[in-house]
Amino acid sequence: MRRINHRLRQWTARVLELPQDVVFDLPRLTMIGDRQLYIENHRGVLHFSPDMLRLALPNGKLEVSGKDLVIRGIWTEEVFVEGIITQVSING
Amino acid sequence: MERVKVTWFHAVRGCVTVRIAGSGTERLLSDAAGDGIELLALRRTSPGEIECIVTVGDFFRLRPHLRRTGCRLRIVGKRGLPFQLARIGRRKFFAAGLVLFFIGLYLLSSLIWRIEIEGNERLTDEQILAAARAEGLHVFQWSFRLPGAEELSRRLNTALPGTAWVGVEKRGTLVTIRIVETTEPEPRTLLSPRHLIAKEDAVVTRITATRGRPVVKKNQRVKKGDVLISGILGGDGLHVNVPAEGTVRGLVWHEYDITSPLVRKAKTYTGERRTVWHAVLGDRSLKVSGFGEPPFAKYESVLRQENAAWRGIVLPIGRIRETQLEVTFVERRLTEEEAAAEGLLQARADILRKAGADAVIRAEKILHRKTENGKVYMKVLFEVEQSITDEMPLVQPQGE
Repeated sequence: MRRINHRLRQWTARVLELPQDVVFDLPRLTMIGDRQLYIENHRGVLHFSPDMLRLALPNGKLEVSGKDLVIRGIWTEEVFVEGIITQVSING
Repeated sequence: MERVKVTWFHAVRGCVTVRIAGSGTERLLSDAAGDGIELLALRRTSPGEIECIVTVGDFFRLRPHLRRTGCRLRIVGKRGLPFQLARIGRRKFFAAGLVLFFIGLYLLSSLIWRIEIEGNERLTDEQILAAARAEGLHVFQWSFRLPGAEELSRRLNTALPGTAWVGVEKRGTLVTIRIVETTEPEPRTLLSPRHLIAKEDAVVTRITATRGRPVVKKNQRVKKGDVLISGILGGDGLHVNVPAEGTVRGLVWHEYDITSPLVRKAKTYTGERRTVWHAVLGDRSLKVSGFGEPPFAKYESVLRQENAAWRGIVLPIGRIRETQLEVTFVERRLTEEEAAAEGLLQARADILRKAGADAVIRAEKILHRKTENGKVYMKVLFEVEQSITDEMPLVQPQGE
């Protein structure tokens, strides 16, 4: 049943040309150079220090490393990170 | 401490800067975010402590999460309108002063502070101000208690006699009253009851009475002192005295004796002149130049004094310029006819001067002419049409 559901979603996404994150509950990252990062659809903070921010995703983890990281704002679904970002790795 | 920008929306609702210490800060963040609490400007100050900004509403919703995760919270700063209002609330007199200041400003600016009056000549400022005060327009009056400018203008116009137009203009706290006064005819001179009587013996040529009762007719002969226009109206017993007015013209005969010499002496300037200077100090003068007898047999002196002046103050120091003009006397011999004509010309001018400006010479007749001792003697009769009225006051009989 779940498998059929998954197949149906995939088909709908392909036919209607819908963005993947809408259909599959994936995170969407918007990055402006190395200074701002906007993450949508996260599932909470796992670790936060000036050098490292680790976020939980619906299926996996997101790791943002850099210097002087500050969370400009954190809401239920979104996180807005500012600072000097050097690396973003997902599900690493 | 880094000053984090907060939007005006957050500033209105009020923000609290808090520091959260404990081992489970990450869990707290996740829980709070999951609960819909908005955390802003989140940064780690030290391992085990984070600093963030929350709105006042979210601050109270943060409490249960703190207890569950075992974190401790410390308030570092407060910002926003609710806190400012609370601060003002503590300083009651300051707040009252602030409100009173604005009330005072409004009230003072709605007072009339000055009234200016323009354009009045006969009416005094006091009269106009009194009339304005009666209509409620005076200094220290409330602006909102005044009727409209147009209404005020109309009322002032009726209240003030002798005004053709009144304009009231209110500009802020200044009221300008502009006045245009009516132009009035010259008041008539008051006359006491009188007759008009004849000034000379004459024959009346024209009589018009604007007031009073004409007594004589045209072509009637009148003697000096005869009443021409009577100031008594009405018959016996029932009469009223008025000042008689009108014009009466008549022919008057003037007999004129003329003496006209045959030799006329005339003074003429030869054009020769000499200038003599005098220095002046006070009342005394001293000749400075032009010494010696003047080289003219007969001369006229023209003096012209010039005093030194400083800033409009005339000083007692100056000079006199004396111009000596040589004169000669020229004798002119006239014929008898010329002398007679000249005598007549002078006589006519003299008669007209005496008889008044509106007099006209109707006829003239030379009664007698003789030449004796180098002079022409003439007796001339002039017939002049002129105004012949004179006034005679009417005395009111004082009872029986």
